[in-house]
Amino acid sequence: MSPAAAADAVLDLAAIRASDAPRVGPKMARLGQLASAGWRVPDGYAVTAAALEGWLPTAALAELHRLFSAPTAGAAAAAAPAGPELAGHQRLTQLSEQARRLIEGQSLPSWLADAVADAHARLAARTGRGALLRVAVRSSAVGEDGRGASFAGQYETYLGVSGADAVLRHIAKCWASGYSAHALDYRRRFGGSSPLRAHDLAVGVLELVDARSAGVAFTLDPVTGDRGRLVVEANWGLGESVVSGQVTPDYWTVERGTGRILERRVGAKLVWSVLAGSGAADDGEAGGRGTVLAPLPAELTQAPCLSDDEVRYLCRRAAEIEEAEGAPQDVEWAIARDLEIPDSVYFLQHRPETTWTTTTPAPAAPSAKSFDPVQYALRNVFKVPGS
Amino acid sequence: MAVSADPPRVFPVDDFVREELYPGYRQAFGSQPFVAGPVRPFSPADNERYWLRDSLHFSEGMVPASIATLDDAQTWGAQLGAEIVGVPPTRGSVNRLAGTHVYIGTIDVDTPWQVQARAARFGQYVSPILADFDAYWSMRAAELIAAYEHFDHLDLAAMSPGELWTALKDAYAFHRRAWFIHFEVMYVLTANYLAFYALAEEIGLSGSQVSAFLSGRETFYSRTDEELWRLAGLARSLGVDSALTHGAPSEMRSQALALPGGSSWVAEFDSFLAAYGQRTEETCRIDTPSWIEDPSPALYSIGAFLTKPAGFDFHAARAAAVAERDAQIDQARRSVSGSDLTRFNEALASNQAANFAWWNEEHNYLIDRRAAIPVRRAALELGARLTDDGRIARPDDMFYLFKPELFEVMESGERTGGHWAELAAMIPDRRAYFEHWRERGPSLPTMLGTIPDTVPDPIMIEVFGLSGHFLETLRGGPGGGSAAAGAEIRGFPAAKGVAEGVARVITTVADLHTVQPGEVLVCGGTTTEWTPAFGIILACVCDTGGSLTHAAIVSREYGIPCVVGTAVATTMIKTGDRVRVDGRAGTVQVLA
Repeated sequence: MSPAAAADAVLDLAAIRASDAPRVGPKMARLGQLASAGWRVPDGYAVTAAALEGWLPTAALAELHRLFSAPTAGAAAAAAPAGPELAGHQRLTQLSEQARRLIEGQSLPSWLADAVADAHARLAARTGRGALLRVAVRSSAVGEDGRGASFAGQYETYLGVSGADAVLRHIAKCWASGYSAHALDYRRRFGGSSPLRAHDLAVGVLELVDARSAGVAFTLDPVTGDRGRLVVEANWGLGESVVSGQVTPDYWTVERGTGRILERRVGAKLVWSVLAGSGAADDGEAGGRGTVLAPLPAELTQAPCLSDDEVRYLCRRAAEIEEAEGAPQDVEWAIARDLEIPDSVYFLQHRPETTWTTTTPAPAAPSAKSFDPVQYALRNVFKVPGS
Repeated sequence: MAVSADPPRVFPVDDFVREELYPGYRQAFGSQPFVAGPVRPFSPADNERYWLRDSLHFSEGMVPASIATLDDAQTWGAQLGAEIVGVPPTRGSVNRLAGTHVYIGTIDVDTPWQVQARAARFGQYVSPILADFDAYWSMRAAELIAAYEHFDHLDLAAMSPGELWTALKDAYAFHRRAWFIHFEVMYVLTANYLAFYALAEEIGLSGSQVSAFLSGRETFYSRTDEELWRLAGLARSLGVDSALTHGAPSEMRSQALALPGGSSWVAEFDSFLAAYGQRTEETCRIDTPSWIEDPSPALYSIGAFLTKPAGFDFHAARAAAVAERDAQIDQARRSVSGSDLTRFNEALASNQAANFAWWNEEHNYLIDRRAAIPVRRAALELGARLTDDGRIARPDDMFYLFKPELFEVMESGERTGGHWAELAAMIPDRRAYFEHWRERGPSLPTMLGTIPDTVPDPIMIEVFGLSGHFLETLRGGPGGGSAAAGAEIRGFPAAKGVAEGVARVITTVADLHTVQPGEVLVCGGTTTEWTPAFGIILACVCDTGGSLTHAAIVSREYGIPCVVGTAVATTMIKTGDRVRVDGRAGTVQVLA
């Protein structure tokens, strides 16, 4: 991308529509679509995949190539203790660390850095937060969610980042997260491309909602696949603790259509995700995240973090998203402090629910949908295990 | 065209002929051409397995010559069929003989790897056959019919000794081939049937209904019965019916010819035999004649149709059975919906195209009741010549020679002298042995060995009736003696309806002519030869059998109640007992 195209390198959220998915990734495209339809979403901007394509300096690219192409993975083997080859996973971890360190040390080209700084300044002005603005820097892979298996979670998201310079560093970190041991392994197992292939990765920068409570709404029961009910999981604070599975969240099931709450369980919420101090937000920590898991104040552990009205409202809106998308969704949301519903409720992202709709067979396995005498004979008559 | 004048090239094996392969080798180590072992007497190790008396196929004992044909059928044929089709849980069946009587056991596949490996190739083998079963069966049927064309038209009497010997060997080879076809098709169709059964259970129907859904299709046997019924009507209109309702069947033909319309009727009957008479009364039994040799069974059937007091409308009964079948299918369709209904319709279509209930009757004409006839004919011709030469006393002495004995003598070229004297000397004792065991037959236990809690082989359950109830009843023991009045016997509900009448207990098809119209037939199990009796009986009760047995299928088509798989009916019920049969509940009550 040349500097002449820099105007298209960064898009404000208000300009993004669903059709922009090939440029900004489905995650940001859906959010832009929601915003344009009047939904309450965090304001922000997106750095397009095209702008990030080939951003790595040639020398860094050559170094990456050397890392991954050496027969015993070059440097990794050289760094390994004398003796037998490292076990596969250990080698992968070592390679991953080297690659990520290499990438995170690179600077974005100045034309792109300028475009990001401009967009960030506009966002700070729109939100009225000025220098106090804190954002989430979210990876938004192009092609993400669109495959059989969800690639969600393969790239990192960084919360509580403040200042344009920190945003630039975290864009590089998002890119580098495509080289995590997990992501490399995932690519290998799901028939992904060579680790050297450039990622189709866009990055979203979104105002961080100062959340009282946050979590996920599923438009089907994620355990049973039952589409007659919706499920809400939530905790106090930022949604991070729920999404990363670090607490047993509060849990509600709601009957579709009637909005009746069928089940209500208060989770064992011992911790919550909160913004770290200003030093953390400025990426002073090794982990690079501007949030920390902190012990939950005692008076909150046994208290449900949502009112019934909030649960019902979340489910109704999630069902609307499902209807618009035409498939079951999981929806991340946050409820801002000091506001009343519906103004308090922000929709952060949504994506197709992949467990029941694509990756594993629905309760009625494909073979059960039609009569195959061989399958029936093996499974039900001869009781052959696994058939 | 160039014709080579060179003699055929021969690579002599002489250098490799020796007694020993490895030190200590004996021929027996490698000489058994079986997957899992030939027919043999029981041994102590057999106590660890279960053995079911197969009165379904062999109501009487096997003469020595029939051991080889039994080997071909229920042993070799079943084992090869199961092996080639890859039936996951079973390697087919094995046979043991108690004296002369046949018991059947199964060979379970009991390692997980083998089950998985068989399951994988099972699908590959079965799917293409089920996809176009009609084409597949037509090909096999054509092969069998072509063989019968060959064997039926051999002029055995005109053959040289060498030609006759060749004909006998060909007949044996064909018999074996026919039985491989039998089990190959049977395992494929059984899978289709049982898959439908499993689907029915899954969608809330009863699996035991499935064979009723598949009933009513015309078979060789239903055509035979229809012809017999027509001949009965003809006898009545020609005024020869009195000749067919009195006296022994062997006298009926001459009785009929003595009457004014007799010759016309006999001409009709003979043309019937030409078309339908190439069948015997039992499976594998060399000693049973075809209907052409001895038409008594056909004459008995005609007599039965004539003596039924109310008469029997063959067409009406069949039409009612078909209507009942269609009503049951409609009712099943109404009780399911959505994808269940779709699968039901697919399974029904698959089973109508590859229909085990139909084939289970139809194939008997091409295999079970016919495949041994060429062997029998050639053996009897050879026996006639040996009788003329004075080596044996009578042609059917041949039935008392084991096949290997016969082959050894014939192949040795020493067709005279000491060998024949030795064999001939054993024949009277073998005849006595057969008679001894024939008398013991009705008192033999239904099962021997260790009666299991359950039997994994679905064929043994659905065809032979080894249900959990059956096994439990046997373990409890019949107790011997007759049932007290009021006793209730439970079994599998095979054909609905309730009937009350006098019991007639029959243990061999040879006694079938004693059954009187309006009686309740109580027996071990029935085969196609019993079919004519269904036109005159009120109800049927069997010791063995499941949803797919002959008695179940035929009872539905004749519209009479039937209970099978009771395990103990023939031991608990006595001829003359008044019984009440409930074919829907699967119960039989002894009233007095």
